[in-house]
Amino acid sequence: MRGCKKSMLLLAIVIFTGPWAMPLALAEDKPHYGGVLRVALAGDPPSLDMHQEQTFMVTIPMSTVYNTLVMFDPHQYPKIIGDLAQAWTVSEDGMTWTFTLHQGVKFHDGSELTSADVKASWDKIVFPPEGVVSTRKSLYQMVKSIEAPERYTVVFRLHYPTASFLPMLAHPANFIYAKKYLDQDINWYKTHAMGTGPFKLQEYVRGASLEFKRNPDYWKKGLPYLDGAKYFIIPDTGARAKSIRAERTDVEFRGFAPVEVESITAQMGDKVTAAHSGQPAHWGIAINVDKKPFDDARVLRALSLALDRYEMVKTLGPLTGLDSIAGPMPPGTPWTLSPEELQALPGFGKDHEANIREAKRLLAEAGYPDGFHTVLTNRAVKLPYIDLGVYIVSAWKKIGVEAEHKLEESATWSKSRVTRDFELLVDPFGFAAEGDPDEIMVKFTSGSPSNWGRFKDPVVDQLFERQKVERDAQKRAQLVHDMQKRIMDQAWEIVGLWWTRVEVRSARMHNYEPLPSHWMNRRLEDVWLSAK
Amino acid sequence: MQRVQRVLLHVRKPYRDTTPWGAICKFVRTKPLGAAGAAIIVLMALTAVCADLIAPYDVYEINQQLQFTPPSLAHWLGTDEFGRDVLSRIIYGARIALFIGLVSSFLGATGGAVIGVLSAYLGGKTDLWIQRLMDILLAFPLLVLALAIVSVLGRSIPNLIVAIAIPVIPRTARIVRSSALSAKENVYVEAARAVGSSHLRVMWCHIVPNVMSPFLIILTAQLGSAILTEASLSFLGLGTAEPTPSWGLMLSGGAPMYAEKAPWLAIFPGLAISLAVFGFNLFGDSLRDALDPKLRHRT
Repeated sequence: MRGCKKSMLLLAIVIFTGPWAMPLALAEDKPHYGGVLRVALAGDPPSLDMHQEQTFMVTIPMSTVYNTLVMFDPHQYPKIIGDLAQAWTVSEDGMTWTFTLHQGVKFHDGSELTSADVKASWDKIVFPPEGVVSTRKSLYQMVKSIEAPERYTVVFRLHYPTASFLPMLAHPANFIYAKKYLDQDINWYKTHAMGTGPFKLQEYVRGASLEFKRNPDYWKKGLPYLDGAKYFIIPDTGARAKSIRAERTDVEFRGFAPVEVESITAQMGDKVTAAHSGQPAHWGIAINVDKKPFDDARVLRALSLALDRYEMVKTLGPLTGLDSIAGPMPPGTPWTLSPEELQALPGFGKDHEANIREAKRLLAEAGYPDGFHTVLTNRAVKLPYIDLGVYIVSAWKKIGVEAEHKLEESATWSKSRVTRDFELLVDPFGFAAEGDPDEIMVKFTSGSPSNWGRFKDPVVDQLFERQKVERDAQKRAQLVHDMQKRIMDQAWEIVGLWWTRVEVRSARMHNYEPLPSHWMNRRLEDVWLSAK
Repeated sequence: MQRVQRVLLHVRKPYRDTTPWGAICKFVRTKPLGAAGAAIIVLMALTAVCADLIAPYDVYEINQQLQFTPPSLAHWLGTDEFGRDVLSRIIYGARIALFIGLVSSFLGATGGAVIGVLSAYLGGKTDLWIQRLMDILLAFPLLVLALAIVSVLGRSIPNLIVAIAIPVIPRTARIVRSSALSAKENVYVEAARAVGSSHLRVMWCHIVPNVMSPFLIILTAQLGSAILTEASLSFLGLGTAEPTPSWGLMLSGGAPMYAEKAPWLAIFPGLAISLAVFGFNLFGDSLRDALDPKLRHRT
């Protein structure tokens, strides 16, 4: 009887308090309007035109201002959905793609978006005029022409059918600009921000912050939820982490080192969410093959042999997130080389002492029995650039190669890379779409703008050409494997390690999932903040 | 009469007539703080010279199994994020600090002394223009000027030496000039000129010996400052680059990032810098007291 009374009392409490408690719980799941998202950003954008830049320092803040033709579904990656495109069809031979645009989409200046704007933007990316940089032009080798036959219809005609076309189209950096401003000045978007996106650039104070305010006329009804977003420029990694710990910023979109994440989560508990979102980038060494002694294949192999990747992963993994060994294609995909295939390549065998002996033998054979002096140009960013550079410079000492570790500020390093003012250069590369070989491997082909070492290997070129038109998945994977093995065997680029991205954000951020690449899902159109 | 006897007594047994060992003993007895500073400098110099012999581990050897090892019997000052021995890196860091400190201070002080003597001796408009130029250089704080120079020249050890040496020049020039101005007024300088000695001979034989005391004082005083500037530039990412063992780099590298996990990464390089600067400053102060005739008998 006594137990029954207790149960009744409990039931009464649930019945009476339930109606008050439930809305509170539901309120957490219901989007909440208002609030300004504060983001810690590693540096200033070199310019505001993402078509001409290749750094996340532009994509992360500027994605809030623009839309793309199609996009990766932020909640169901890698599904591709329309953004400005309402629907699309593809011809039977896979050579003609027709996109129908949403109607009534307005730019921030009030003008309507039409197919002419989409064509002008894509022409700028795929067929840039003389003197205009398009950093991702080589990703669109399959595109023959872009047409705008009707006000809301855009047609892409291809040279050859390829499975990578749609994922490449969904690359998050392909912002759609207004034609009238491009006609006025093709570089207009380097200094201006005017798109169809959910936020408008309100103020940019160089070295301090970028501030965006809500676009009240955003064409996706009811969005965005946020009043705005403010990006604080904090170049120091430790300071960015501290800004999260002190709750001065809500999120850092690129990612922190595992040890830093450990400290943040230990201190902040359930106030933050840490997510291992994927492995979007690789850090290796580009070699300027026009400079001596790097014109000798034996020297290149020796440099690769001197690195003990298995120890490197153990040392650098916890410090930097560089924690996976693979070839130029990311780990855990059909394109990934098997451990057996890897171990047969120079510098990937597990007997490191034997590798060192072989490296010394190759150097002696090439005429450098006592090693040589060289310069490793690196970006003055602690994680993972400097740490990787320190490891590599120290490792090369074992074969007598004395590399001066030359650190340069981001802009200078970027310029050295483009102008090839380096002997050896710490070189990050990866993917910001789906990780298709067309996106990643194109940098190893002759004449590719991102082939910083400018090596030319007809075998590599031929394998790339074959894989890009191969429609049989297994055969294509084999061609990509062969291409990777060729590059690593010749050591055209010293393959390093793949990076696992760990993103930390405030638990107040809702409706947001980090995707593999830190370039993706940066528009913030459906992200909302819960009350403090 | 009594006063005259006291003066004569000093003339009979002057300070500089004692043997070197006696002078050292007297210096230790009369300037214990200066002696402590000298001991620190000697210890630092020995450490730098014998680094290959006394460093227990290879400073470039990366050992994953030893990452963040706290101070222990095997690693007295612990290990860093790459598993490198902190003590060994501090020992080798002394070599970089002392080399850059000595060379830059010597170059800067010598350059400043030459300019100071020339400015004082030549006088007139030359003196006026040289001094205005020195005023311009003096208007910049030492670290700001060094930062600007490194930014223009780029990062390397020779450029770092130049960047640290240039701010020393006006400071030395100003002090040496004032000593040279008073030396220039001596009768024997006028006599040397009268007998037809060349300007160079007059300066070298009659003025330079008179400015050696301030020169030596400013040289030792600037050494501590130069070491601190090198550490500061390395800390700010404009000095030497990893994996070169440098005290400033040790403080800027993993130290702030892993301060909670491995506080020894910040504590020991910080102590090394403080001790070195403290040593040079103590020695410089005592040297000034010993060489300055106005201060010589104060103790």
